[in-house]
Amino acid sequence: MLKDKLNAVLKIDRRWIFLALTVVLFGAIIHPLGLLSKNIARDTQNAYEFMDKIPAGSFILLDLDYDPSTAPELSPQAMAVARHAFRNNLRVGVVTYSAGATGLIEQLFAVVPGEFKKEYGKDYVILPYQPNAVAVMTQMASDLYGIYDKDKDGKDTRSMPVMKGIQNYKNISLVVCIAGTSITDIWVAYVGDKYNVPFIAGVTAISQPGYGPYLQKKQMRGLLGGMKGAAEYEHLIKTPGKGSSGIDALSLAHVMVAALIIVSNIAMVILKYL
Amino acid sequence: MKLIKKTIPLAIVFVFGILTLLTYYVPHKHSVDFLETMNKWENIVTAFAFFLGLISLFYAHSTKISRKADGWGYSLFVFVGFLAIIIPAYISKGKNMNGAELTWMGWAFQYIYNPLSATMFAVLAFYIVSTAYKSFRIKSLQAFVLFVAAMFLILGNVPLGQIIWDKMLGWTGYNISQVVDWIMHVPAVAGKRGIMIGISIGAVVTALKIIFGIERQYLGKD
Amino acid sequence: MSHTVLIAGAWISAGLTIFLFSFLYKDNPFFKIAEHLYLGAGMGWWCQIYFGVLQEKVWTPLTHHEWLVLLPALLGLSLITQFIPKISWLSRYGFTFLMGYGSGLAIPAGLATDFINQIGGTIQPFANLAGMTAFTLFNSVLMAVGVICVLIYFFFSLEHKGAIKKVSNVGIYFLMIYFGAAFGNTVMARFSLLYGRFDSLYTFSGKQYLYATQVILIAMVTYFILHGFLTRNKADQDEEAA
Repeated sequence: MLKDKLNAVLKIDRRWIFLALTVVLFGAIIHPLGLLSKNIARDTQNAYEFMDKIPAGSFILLDLDYDPSTAPELSPQAMAVARHAFRNNLRVGVVTYSAGATGLIEQLFAVVPGEFKKEYGKDYVILPYQPNAVAVMTQMASDLYGIYDKDKDGKDTRSMPVMKGIQNYKNISLVVCIAGTSITDIWVAYVGDKYNVPFIAGVTAISQPGYGPYLQKKQMRGLLGGMKGAAEYEHLIKTPGKGSSGIDALSLAHVMVAALIIVSNIAMVILKYL
Repeated sequence: MKLIKKTIPLAIVFVFGILTLLTYYVPHKHSVDFLETMNKWENIVTAFAFFLGLISLFYAHSTKISRKADGWGYSLFVFVGFLAIIIPAYISKGKNMNGAELTWMGWAFQYIYNPLSATMFAVLAFYIVSTAYKSFRIKSLQAFVLFVAAMFLILGNVPLGQIIWDKMLGWTGYNISQVVDWIMHVPAVAGKRGIMIGISIGAVVTALKIIFGIERQYLGKD
Repeated sequence: MSHTVLIAGAWISAGLTIFLFSFLYKDNPFFKIAEHLYLGAGMGWWCQIYFGVLQEKVWTPLTHHEWLVLLPALLGLSLITQFIPKISWLSRYGFTFLMGYGSGLAIPAGLATDFINQIGGTIQPFANLAGMTAFTLFNSVLMAVGVICVLIYFFFSLEHKGAIKKVSNVGIYFLMIYFGAAFGNTVMARFSLLYGRFDSLYTFSGKQYLYATQVILIAMVTYFILHGFLTRNKADQDEEAA
């Protein structure tokens, strides 16, 4: 009797599980739990501290390589990092090697600089999309104007105050790459390792565990992983955003998955041994 | 014929392979210039490769339409989707924003391409849950180890999981983030590093085989 | 952009999202339409990008009489001969260039970053033995042991029996921890994407978007009910006829 019931539970139509997930996640969006991640991962902390120590006026390169399929995780990271940079009065150059990212970058920079009264051309610049990352990375070692002599709208970059004194990696204090692609690995291999440029990455949660080796070897100075990384960074800069509200909404769904795995395994054990 | 069909292509692979390889180790200006030229060339050839794919896709769907094959009506929507991006891109001259205002292309990106692309991947969330329920079975010690690591991460990643941990295991004096940090920085690094080293050896060997013309399957038959 | 256009966008966006999600219930024409639109729109997006690349890297230099770009352009064009069986061998020129360039780049980077540096990273901590606490020493040893065991697990030139089998078995446990961590994080990543979509659907359910989400959702549910009802009726009729 019990066994029949358990069998039925294990063989439940998967669409009920889909519905449960929908209810749990949508419910949490409508009624947030209001929980905040209070533990900060070491890699996020390291990223924040490294960035925080860069003197005002320094130039950092922000490579944003996420498209709609990874934006929910990575856009909050990008926003938090950009806010931190502007708050600390760093000069920001934005680059991208993902075709799908251009639209998202423009949307992000239509909002964030205004919060800090930052001006285009003086405090930040958005450089045009380039299809071959390796090409650009190699070029920037000698003279970045070889590729980026114009900004995304075709304006001359050399004359912009934001680019004053910037020629190659020697003048760049930090590269931050927030990417849903393997561009991160290319930065490590072709720039971080070769030219000793400090490098911080923001990656999707899926690829995060794979970067442990680079972190341990200090090929990366810090790492933000997925929405949790975004929430932690938002916490550190004390500006809650989509990362914090997102990770709150994911809480119940995570507990639900954990419970489903445990329940189904207990059911299996009972079926087998009783 | 063999010369132009086989020998020259293999010579191309060898020459460009070796020269590109050397640029990494030769910090001379000529070497840097050469690599930059090659990078530009690669951009151009890749762009043509994309158009090869595009033509092939259009060909497949237009034959489907002209033959009125099963589901040909759906093939029309491939062209509709294509035009829905290309026409706004042409009107907006490839710009997404005009100041703080969306252009037509920005609009098409935000309301057509963005939801389609993002939802396609979001659907996987449902399958990962149902698979976790139906197939995640702890049948061996190895599976148990995987289960434990996964549980730490699943709970440690969200605030509610951290609270549950504190309530149940707070007496250990460790919070779950410390445990997750340790997993990610010690045993998981060992696992990943082993894979990394293994893959890099494989990749280097394959690349060498390609350069020296031992591996030539990509050339196709004859 | 006028307000109406933005509302229209919200309706399209909510509609396409719900159409794609509807597959979770069962396959249906709306899903298929959205799926094909995705294919086309994706190609459209890339097309305008690559068109820009060709314009910048081939067309503009040609107008400045830089004829060298004709060479890569010809290599690229050779790829298109794939469609003409008689001269399709020409495409080898383009492919071999890409393969040669790619292989040449992959070797040094793979060697330095993923091979030598990783071995270095495993050994390096031991250079500072005196400054190590018991715990960091334990971690470094554990990691080194783990890396060696995993490598032995992947080393197929040795027959896995006896001591080798035991060592490679230990390697499996390290791999399992890595896969477990990867699985846990994959769950978060997938949920984040779903959260992103649900969050937009929630936004579009507002009054300012004229309740786009609710209306489309109800329409979709009605479609499934009617479709289920009609197909059942049809099945009944077929049965009677038989």
